[in-house]
Amino acid sequence: MIQLHDYPLSGNCFKVRFLLEQLDLEYQSILVDFYPGYEHKSPRFLDINPLGQLPAIVEGGEAVRDAQAILVYLATAYDKSGKWFPRDRQGEVYQWLAFADQLTGSISAARLHDAMFYRLDVGKARSDGIRLLRIIDEHLWFAEKDGHEWLLPLPHPTIGDVACFPYIALAEEGGIDLAPFSSVSRWMERFMRLKGFKPMPGMMPLPMPKETP
Amino acid sequence: MKPSELEAGWFPAGLQNYVLPKTAGRVVIADNDIALWRGEDGQIRAWENRCPHRGMRLSYGIVRGNTLTCLYHGWSYDGAGACAGIPAHPELTPPKTIRAKAYRAADAGGFIWVANPGETTAPPSIDGDWVPNRSVHIDATPVSLNELAEGMGAGLVSKITDHAGIVRVHGVEEEILLAFLDMKKHGAMIHTSVPASASEDVAIAVSKLTSRLRQVFKASSAA
Repeated sequence: MIQLHDYPLSGNCFKVRFLLEQLDLEYQSILVDFYPGYEHKSPRFLDINPLGQLPAIVEGGEAVRDAQAILVYLATAYDKSGKWFPRDRQGEVYQWLAFADQLTGSISAARLHDAMFYRLDVGKARSDGIRLLRIIDEHLWFAEKDGHEWLLPLPHPTIGDVACFPYIALAEEGGIDLAPFSSVSRWMERFMRLKGFKPMPGMMPLPMPKETP
Repeated sequence: MKPSELEAGWFPAGLQNYVLPKTAGRVVIADNDIALWRGEDGQIRAWENRCPHRGMRLSYGIVRGNTLTCLYHGWSYDGAGACAGIPAHPELTPPKTIRAKAYRAADAGGFIWVANPGETTAPPSIDGDWVPNRSVHIDATPVSLNELAEGMGAGLVSKITDHAGIVRVHGVEEEILLAFLDMKKHGAMIHTSVPASASEDVAIAVSKLTSRLRQVFKASSAA
């Protein structure tokens, strides 16, 4: 069985949980005390991921680390539909996986500062985050204009959407207001209405129907 | 705490499709935090963004039918702002004094408009069919509608309010609706609508010009 080294308040772990559940894969969640225990820097965990970062998965004794890499690994190994990581669109998907990594370096950093008292330049983290939000908002505006709902012009989300979603949805925990980004807001609304979506703490709304079915 | 008041008149709070039926959203007008929501009836409502119970943002709330339910303890409010139910006291008919503070709100010209509860003037009436086009955040608020239009390479044709008007965009040769919303320390929002008859090319050209306003209205401290 896949073991996920997991932390409930991590957006990067959320992505992996989301895809595991969408792919209907059984997994074992091994909780790592990220804060305040800093267990991801412990010798036990550094054996699994020398970078000391969450998440990591272990399957058949082999470890895969880095949220984006895990998404690629899982979709490639287990998604028979080919929807989540479409073969003919891998370049576009990678572009959004790289973008998601930049969200980790900015919005997620601001959130670590505000919620877990990390020492870092929060002003720069927020302004970098806003710059990225403007880019993705504009991209989604043009997508909507062409009648598309997701980052790629396909009738369903891909791991690109999965990778970008959590830290955008958690932006307000890092002191970044999402109200100015209307196309992003609509995209988040659509994502949260996907079948099987389970929010993590800090993501609004909580698991209640946004509308009467 | 003093109740928050807007300046007099109607404010362009956002594009009509910013808040779709059966959803809630949030807008900042000057220093005022406001929840916008539509019931299944499609009618736009603007309330102070705090639940009278514990101050939770109502914009996080859940819309069911034509009521808004606070995410925190589930107090629900009918379309007029009166408390309609308290889950912890299912037998209780909520007292009439428990109300969300409701501003006036209306749709016109592809925009959502918001005014003080006591605003005596009617919402702007805008001739023609308009479709919401693009909203963009800018760091520095324009001094006037004229300055904003010039920044966009457009000429003011007629004013609707101090913050909104019909402008003719050079190069596009189409009249569009242009508005800005001052959010004080949070910068400003620019909203545009285009005529329903406008082509896709016009919509896209206007969107690009709107984005470019970020370079014109930069925060003075920005590098």
